[in-house]
Amino acid sequence: MEWALALAAMLAVVAVVFVARPFLRDPAPASDLLDELAPEARERLALAEERDRALAALKELEFDHRTGKISDDDYRAQLGPLRRRAAEALRALERGEHAGHERVTDPGQHVP
Amino acid sequence: MAPLGRAALLLAFGLIAYALVAGSYAAWKRRRRLALSAQNALLAAFPATLVAAIVLFVALGRRDMTFVYVWQHTSHKLPLGYALSAFWGGQEGSLLLWLLVLTGYAGLAVWLNRRSRELIAWTVPVFGLVAAFFAFMLCFVSSPFNVQPAPADGRGMVPSLQNPYMLAHPPMLYLGYVGLTVPFAFAMGALLSGRTDERWIVATRRWTLAAWTFLGVGQLIGAHWAYVEIGWGGYYAWDPVENAALMPWLAATAFLHSVMIQEKRGMLKVWNMVLVALAFNLSLFGTFLTRSGVIDSIHSFAKSSIGGWFLAFLGLMVFLSVALIRWRLPLLRTKTKLESLVSREATFLYNNLLLVALCLTILWGVLYPILSEAVRGETRSVSKPYYDFFLHTFGLPLLILMGIGPLVAWRRASLRSLGKTFIIPFAAAVVTGVVLLALGFGSSWPGLLTYTFSAFVLASIVLEFVRGRVAAGGIFRLIARNRRRYGGYIVHAAIVLLAIGIAGSSAYQTQRQAVLRTGQSVEAAGYTLTYLGSTGVRGPNYTGFRALVAVSGHGERFTLHPGMNAYNIEGPANEASIYHDPRSLGDVFTTAQVVSAKRGTIALKVLVKPLINLIWAAGFLFVAGALIAMWPDAVEQRRLAARYAAGAAPAGI
Amino acid sequence: MGSSPARLVIALSVAAALAIFVVYTALAGNGVRQLTPSALAGHTGDVSLVGAVVGKPRIDDAYTKAGMRFQLKDIGTASAARIPVVYHGSVPDLFKVGRHIVVEGRLRNGVFVAKPGSLVTKCPSKYAPAKSAKT
Repeated sequence: MEWALALAAMLAVVAVVFVARPFLRDPAPASDLLDELAPEARERLALAEERDRALAALKELEFDHRTGKISDDDYRAQLGPLRRRAAEALRALERGEHAGHERVTDPGQHVP
Repeated sequence: MAPLGRAALLLAFGLIAYALVAGSYAAWKRRRRLALSAQNALLAAFPATLVAAIVLFVALGRRDMTFVYVWQHTSHKLPLGYALSAFWGGQEGSLLLWLLVLTGYAGLAVWLNRRSRELIAWTVPVFGLVAAFFAFMLCFVSSPFNVQPAPADGRGMVPSLQNPYMLAHPPMLYLGYVGLTVPFAFAMGALLSGRTDERWIVATRRWTLAAWTFLGVGQLIGAHWAYVEIGWGGYYAWDPVENAALMPWLAATAFLHSVMIQEKRGMLKVWNMVLVALAFNLSLFGTFLTRSGVIDSIHSFAKSSIGGWFLAFLGLMVFLSVALIRWRLPLLRTKTKLESLVSREATFLYNNLLLVALCLTILWGVLYPILSEAVRGETRSVSKPYYDFFLHTFGLPLLILMGIGPLVAWRRASLRSLGKTFIIPFAAAVVTGVVLLALGFGSSWPGLLTYTFSAFVLASIVLEFVRGRVAAGGIFRLIARNRRRYGGYIVHAAIVLLAIGIAGSSAYQTQRQAVLRTGQSVEAAGYTLTYLGSTGVRGPNYTGFRALVAVSGHGERFTLHPGMNAYNIEGPANEASIYHDPRSLGDVFTTAQVVSAKRGTIALKVLVKPLINLIWAAGFLFVAGALIAMWPDAVEQRRLAARYAAGAAPAGI
Repeated sequence: MGSSPARLVIALSVAAALAIFVVYTALAGNGVRQLTPSALAGHTGDVSLVGAVVGKPRIDDAYTKAGMRFQLKDIGTASAARIPVVYHGSVPDLFKVGRHIVVEGRLRNGVFVAKPGSLVTKCPSKYAPAKSAKT
């Protein structure tokens, strides 16, 4: 069973190298700090989610109205508040953009 | 060979333990390289586990009886396919399968989301913790690689396991059970990292859907297997082992719905955390139930080698889940409120409450024997009437909610617009109800209600497609642009078919049993079954008989061959003979046992089960709908990538 | 608006579910008592007996007037208790000596008379992909 033990040993070596790789590639890094979203960035993220939610709700309202699920009255009644919410979210987002400084690492990651 | 397997498992355990310990430290102290190193360790655990798995597969294929596990679960005469399926036929092998799937899923999920470094830094140790348990058990408590001097032949496989289902059912279930670990790990990772945004949901949405689909399909396969193999004429017996898979599935169903509310309204963050933890812990519990014999009695539990370990680990995970949620409660609370009790959010909420209520009543039924033994010293158990009652009480409202939900708008629906959209489905239901009542279906009120509600739901779903098609200009464009919604509707339609099939085959089934001499007949639901005589049968590892039964009725003629096989090693087994009736989409199900070989009499049992084949057809529709809902949408992916660009994009599959 | 109606709905639903549950268990009784052979003595009335099959049962006898006869002993513990059982009706899959079974019935003159058709075999190994067979 020597070949089996040799295989096991080889696997172990490969595994250890793989695990040690971050340290081997970058023995003296400028910063070893794990990326973390700054509080402003977290705020922005929350606002972005809020904006997306408002926009999605508008789209859905539109669709529901077109398919006849919501009456014209209900549509008009809900359209105003939803539009206001979306506008507010967009404004808040723009304010945040002008204000804080965030380091944008990789904009537009490819999402598979 | 066995030493290689053992070594591979030890390596896996080492890597996982490192991922857990180093990963936790790195996330806590914000060490980038160490976090990456821990991530690599988790990724490397899969190939290590795979090596161990291959070793076991090869040993099973070669029928290498020096492996105790191979000896316990196979024999030389056992066909190759079944010998390989013995991988998951026993305790040690199933643990290895759990670990294999877990490390595979964990590696893939972490790799795809590796750019969300903050979230992944904490997700890795959570995966590590769960995997560490299984790896520990495999290395030190319950190893598949114990060896012995090879005996002449193995103990063989229980005959009811020797069929193609054995190749499909357990792996499907495991892909489901283990899959629920992914949303759990990301959820706990989000809590640990203090992130209250939706990245963890976006990252795991398709994983959850996939796991839920596997779990559902796995259960349907199991039900079909029980139906055709075990021979009692049913497909679900509320057996603890069956409930073990149903409970996490119900919790996951609730979670899939409530997560939509969080995405659309930002509400119910705490509830979602509770649900995902519930689903995961129930799937652990389900694995534990099937392994430990605890349901038989506390005594047999104590004899199980892994029961105690499992219970301790389950307790730990429940404790950690609760503690984590409790700790981050202030972060999770939102100010968004439910605006109206008549809104889609509200129907989702009702749906959740019903699903969780059903899940908990089943849990109670499963635990009752253990609790009553512990508290009173005598074991009591609940049985079918208990489960049926709650299935009706919670299941029927759930059924009709599937039809109501899509008709109600988000936030607030005025009763007037509700009235307009409800009219057609309501009319469909009323007409169906009245017609069925006239035809005599009132004999079972749960059955009648199921059919009536089903008409309502199906009408509402069809209307959704019709209305949507007009608005989108074509049915394929409609579905392609709204994959989640319309995929979801197709899944709902599948569930309705399932409900109809279940109602038909249980509430409206006909059962007859008679002792027959050659030439005698028995009558059931318009069919006449005549016993014509028996023949003997012989197979590689069994002998038996088949009764020749001529059936006529409803303008059809066919023959059935129910009988029994007596296996050399494992004992007798029923061989049911089933006719699938295209007219009623139902089955004529027969089993036979010898009463007196001398006088040539048999006991013939007949079950006429209308609409039962809808259940299996529903399975296919279910998968189709889930696939559509899961299908990646390039537009949506780009939008999400842009949203998370400031920190890193999530990459849900 | 004050506190969210969602909380109220949840609270009411939980209360309703609990109420249904309590009413059900009150009406339907507390389940069927499940006993082992060593604990059976003195229990009259319908019980569910769980144990391991001992003896020489002949499955063909299950349809005769005399019925199939075997004994049950405790699973797991080394108790010497043996309860004679007489059973009529269909015999499920995998029934054989040594198998763990559950059967309903009542004790009559020292013999456990089973309810016809109530015999259920429990899964023989701890891993149970095949559910226990009902008849």
